[in-house]
Amino acid sequence: MKITAFLLSICFCTSMFAQNFSFGKVSKEELEEKFNPLDSSANATYLYKYRRTYMEYRQEEGFSLVTEIQERIKIYSQEGFDYATKEISLHKQNNDEEEVNSLKGYTYNLVNGKEEETKLEKEGIFNTEKSKYINETKFTMPNIKEGSVIEYKYKIVSPFYWNVDDFEFQHDIPVKNVEALFEVPEYFNFKPVSKGFIPMNPIHEAKRGVIRFTGKERGQMSQTEFYSSELIYTNNTTKFMLSNIPALKDEPYVNNIENYRSAIKYELSYTNFPDSPLKYFSTTWEDVVKTIYDSSNFGKELDADRYYNDDIDALIATVSEPIKKVALIYNHVKSKIKWNGYYGKFTDEGVKRAYLINEGNVAEINLMLTSMLRYAGLSANPVLVSTRQNGIPLFPTIDGYNYVISAIELPEGTMLLDATSNYGEPNILPLRTLNWEGRIIRKDKSSSTINLYPKDISKNSSTMLVNLSGSGNLDGNVRTIKTSYQAMKYREDYIGTDKDNFLEKLENRYSGMEISDFEVKNDTDVSKPVMESFKFTLESQADIIGDKMYFSPLFFLKTKESPFKLEKREFPVDFGYPLNNRYMVTVNLPEGYKVESIPEPFALGLPDNLGSYKYNIIERGSTIQLIVEAEINQPVISSLYYDALKAYFSKIIELEGGQIVLTKV
Amino acid sequence: MKVKHVILYFVLFTVLQVSSQENLYVSFSIPANLKENANAIIRSNQLDITINAVDDMTVYEKRIITVLNKEGNSNIDAFVHYDNNVKIKTLEVLVFNQFGAVIKKVKKNDFKDVSAVDGGTLYSDSRVKYLEYTPISYPYTIEFVCEINTKNTAFIESFTPVNDYFVSVENSSYTISFPNDVTIRTKEKNLEGLDLSKESLQNKISYRVKNVEAIKPEQYSPALIDILPTVVFASNRFVYEGVSATADNWMSFGKWVYQDLLNDTSDLPESTINMIQNLVKDEENEIEKAKKVYQYVQDKTRYISVQVGIGGWKPFKASEVDKLSYGDCKALTNYTMSLLKAVGIESNFTLLFAGNSQRSMDENFASMRANHAILSIPNKGQTIWLECTSQKAPFGFIGDFTDDRDVLVVTPEGGSIQHTKKYTTEENLQIIKGSYSVSDNGDIDVKATVNSKGIQYDDKYLYESETERDLDVYYKKRWKYINGINISKMQLNNDKSAIEFIENISFVAPNYSKIVGDRMLLPVNALNRNTDIPDRYRDRKLPLKIKRGFKDVDEVEIKLPTGFAIESSPDNVVIENKFGSYKAEIIVKNDSTIFYKRELVINDGEYPKEDYETYREFYKEVNKYDNSKIALIKNQQ
Repeated sequence: MKITAFLLSICFCTSMFAQNFSFGKVSKEELEEKFNPLDSSANATYLYKYRRTYMEYRQEEGFSLVTEIQERIKIYSQEGFDYATKEISLHKQNNDEEEVNSLKGYTYNLVNGKEEETKLEKEGIFNTEKSKYINETKFTMPNIKEGSVIEYKYKIVSPFYWNVDDFEFQHDIPVKNVEALFEVPEYFNFKPVSKGFIPMNPIHEAKRGVIRFTGKERGQMSQTEFYSSELIYTNNTTKFMLSNIPALKDEPYVNNIENYRSAIKYELSYTNFPDSPLKYFSTTWEDVVKTIYDSSNFGKELDADRYYNDDIDALIATVSEPIKKVALIYNHVKSKIKWNGYYGKFTDEGVKRAYLINEGNVAEINLMLTSMLRYAGLSANPVLVSTRQNGIPLFPTIDGYNYVISAIELPEGTMLLDATSNYGEPNILPLRTLNWEGRIIRKDKSSSTINLYPKDISKNSSTMLVNLSGSGNLDGNVRTIKTSYQAMKYREDYIGTDKDNFLEKLENRYSGMEISDFEVKNDTDVSKPVMESFKFTLESQADIIGDKMYFSPLFFLKTKESPFKLEKREFPVDFGYPLNNRYMVTVNLPEGYKVESIPEPFALGLPDNLGSYKYNIIERGSTIQLIVEAEINQPVISSLYYDALKAYFSKIIELEGGQIVLTKV
Repeated sequence: MKVKHVILYFVLFTVLQVSSQENLYVSFSIPANLKENANAIIRSNQLDITINAVDDMTVYEKRIITVLNKEGNSNIDAFVHYDNNVKIKTLEVLVFNQFGAVIKKVKKNDFKDVSAVDGGTLYSDSRVKYLEYTPISYPYTIEFVCEINTKNTAFIESFTPVNDYFVSVENSSYTISFPNDVTIRTKEKNLEGLDLSKESLQNKISYRVKNVEAIKPEQYSPALIDILPTVVFASNRFVYEGVSATADNWMSFGKWVYQDLLNDTSDLPESTINMIQNLVKDEENEIEKAKKVYQYVQDKTRYISVQVGIGGWKPFKASEVDKLSYGDCKALTNYTMSLLKAVGIESNFTLLFAGNSQRSMDENFASMRANHAILSIPNKGQTIWLECTSQKAPFGFIGDFTDDRDVLVVTPEGGSIQHTKKYTTEENLQIIKGSYSVSDNGDIDVKATVNSKGIQYDDKYLYESETERDLDVYYKKRWKYINGINISKMQLNNDKSAIEFIENISFVAPNYSKIVGDRMLLPVNALNRNTDIPDRYRDRKLPLKIKRGFKDVDEVEIKLPTGFAIESSPDNVVIENKFGSYKAEIIVKNDSTIFYKRELVINDGEYPKEDYETYREFYKEVNKYDNSKIALIKNQQ
């Protein structure tokens, strides 16, 4: 039974491609094709993408990872010429480095109906030492024209056998056919993690592999004896045969397009060599957590306290309330150690050194923070996070997480802290960390997931009082209060910039506004909301036609254009955090005019309580009062709601344009 | 007694010296006027250039810079480029806190060392060592010391005390020393009003400035390069990548470029020569022949930048480009030149500064500075300029990348400065002819034909190759003030021979015209509304410069909804001033049809800074009239 299935799968594979994808067998049809029939907007298309990654044993060096690549690309237009240049990034560390060899490439063109090939010569191949850790081989194909088909193949040999590059199946251009193989001796167990929306249908087989050992031994009587032996093992093979994978196109308000790119990542979970014990890297979350915790750049760093204990003792000597201790320690770390811009769940130079030189990476800062909080008697634990840039970890892998923050479990709930951001506050983490779930690791090495998306609504509340003159000009004042993320964003923009320049930018955002008496409060006190207030004048804010005056009472606070311009959307819309914007406007009407009509109040909602909008307006003698409140209740909204969202924003813009009509008395 | 005095004097003097030096590491000693608009202050910069021989130059730099805020981090400029010809002898950094105490030392080996390939280049042999530093607090001070030795003497660093916006200078000095057999030429720019001292000896020239205030960027101002105080230096004899040269003016410099860099690169295989001659054989006119050759190059080649050694200035051979079908600007220009030569057309290699800022080569000062190459074909005083790196540009069209600037044209006889094509206000023309109808619930149905020429062509012609999805978004952004646009037709026509880009667009949008009770408010200008007002500056410092003029002409027929009559419509407007003109006119054709005509002209020009506010007022007026509305009222029945 098993054998039949196995045979069937073989038949299926070999008959899958009708075309010939042997190297150099480019067909006339491929050269003649003018556009991709499945996506006529494609500037280029992978006709065939082959990759085989396998282990090779060399007696002296042990296992190395070999990857064979062969790619055939059709270039339809000049915009596709970039695909004639390929960059291969190669890791290196100490004396070990990855190498490219057997690179061959040809460009095929149709010239007067005849196939013509041009070889990639060595002047088109460039090797660069990019940095201490990265070499790069780049090549660009010769004789590229609209309609060219290029084909190249090469081999990468890597000593870093545990580090398998992702198998990427989806690109910014369509892919017609993929054939990918991953072959691993039974001594290694790699865990696959897939992402994207395309079904991969892996085909598994077991093959026989042989390792030959040869050697010589000096025997008795000065005789040298030669010996050889063979080791037979099982090679576990996974094969992917995919076709017609559409291009991946970016959209606005996507947290990270890479989360949606179809690919498979392999991470080593354990090795099981003959005559050696099993060595785990990761298979379950428990393993991942254990491996990370046991690393000297993580667990031990949490335990060290000698380097700071005097400072912390002094800092919290007079306070007993836990929450006050948290505030003191959090601010101490924020002000003492500056983030050097590097991510990482592991420390680099170590917490002690970071404390000494006042700078550190993410792990140094937040593990130190966690350690100090524990020292002060709080139940603090590290939380592993995958940043937006790193994508969402769905399966237990070590590389799935690239960042660490701190959590304190208090009777009132869990408090999340990240001391790398100057303007962060408890439960207000930098945007880069807001990516679905993190994993909290407790002292006993148990772990559980923890939702990172903020539940608190970030508010912006503006109160505006304006006088409208008979000539349509405005003067007035605005006072705005911002909390949470809206406050953080403001602080990032405001603090450390020249005040005059900041003001000029503000004025120019509302073309033609002139601002005076500008004041910001609590800009550096992150425990309080930011308050901004100013006076302003702004011309031509009403239309005067005949003896009537028309204006929309939100003036410059109106939503000007919809952020959602695409007709169709594939991926969720990510607002980052729930938000509430509230405007209270009082308009003093010009003398000599009376109100003829005002817009109707209205309310709008998004389905499933995802968002709501209210517009209330009343006329009180010579003033108009308006209260507008807009809410988005979910940080991430599924693309299923895209049409609703698009219509909602369009409606808001339309209704906010509602006019008040005044008539001369 | 006397001795004692001397000693005392000496001691006093050294103490003074030390304390004034130490002052530079202390942040609070910065004069207030230098802090204004500054993110960083160069406390002291010492640049010593020593030409030891024609192929041996030492550059020593010591810079002390105080950074006031995060924006200033990028101004520490603690990096050095190197390649095979450059040896780094000293490289180190000291970091001081605001009180002048050393908080960090960085040695040569602690600098990051990476390949200096930028995004647009496939390969370059240039590398860079740079400082990576995380500021612990602001302000902080960096002392950067770097000494290099190079065999290339073609580029001598200029004296440019300020090299960026938001940076001021307390002290900056420059010294160049040179042997007897080398002559150094200098050219001063924008030094008026500076606290400057200079000294010129037989073998040494020095400059020193003090207290240069920071410059803030302002819209519609001259390019930074044109306002910075600078002294440029050049040697009459120099060596570049092992090739020596003698040049003291553009004529002799051009001759060197021709003979040593270009002369042996125009080889082409016989088969290519025959092919190209055959390609143009039916054309009688030289221009038509050149067009065919240019089209051939555009179809055959693409731009790939590779810079190795002398390849920074010397093109790849034409035969190489012929084989590979790619090259950088020099290679593709040289290839086109070689093909033109094969069909008997004379053309000249041209060096220049490319970019929107219209930077010119200095007519009176020859030096080896340029960043791009194009081709020029002499044509009875109407020189044709060819951009050889573009596969899309029409023949003779150079756009805002290389227009209206002085460039160096290299001929076998030598170099000469010429001026590239200027696109005049009248040439940069956009004509919109359109119509729209308004329904009784305020929806509009629009058809428009937009015809663009000159720089306005340049702004748009690449849209021809955009995908439909991106174009759809692009048009929604162009008419961003209309909500809910639904585009039904986008037909683009790039007429490369007439150099005209024609867009035919149809769309509908709901509730464009606002209904207010019995009335409807119709914003009459639907298709070309100006939405930008130049930024306001509390204290404008820089002159007003409008680099390129343009003219927009709109003629739109508007069908009014049935059942409505015009209650009132805006008055016709005519504004004319030195910056340009604006005209808007509404012509009522009959009860249901009106014509809207609009013309906006902005002239290019340079004006004193006092004019900026008037210019801004002009735009505000335009903005206001572009938002004019017609009031329609429901017919009483």
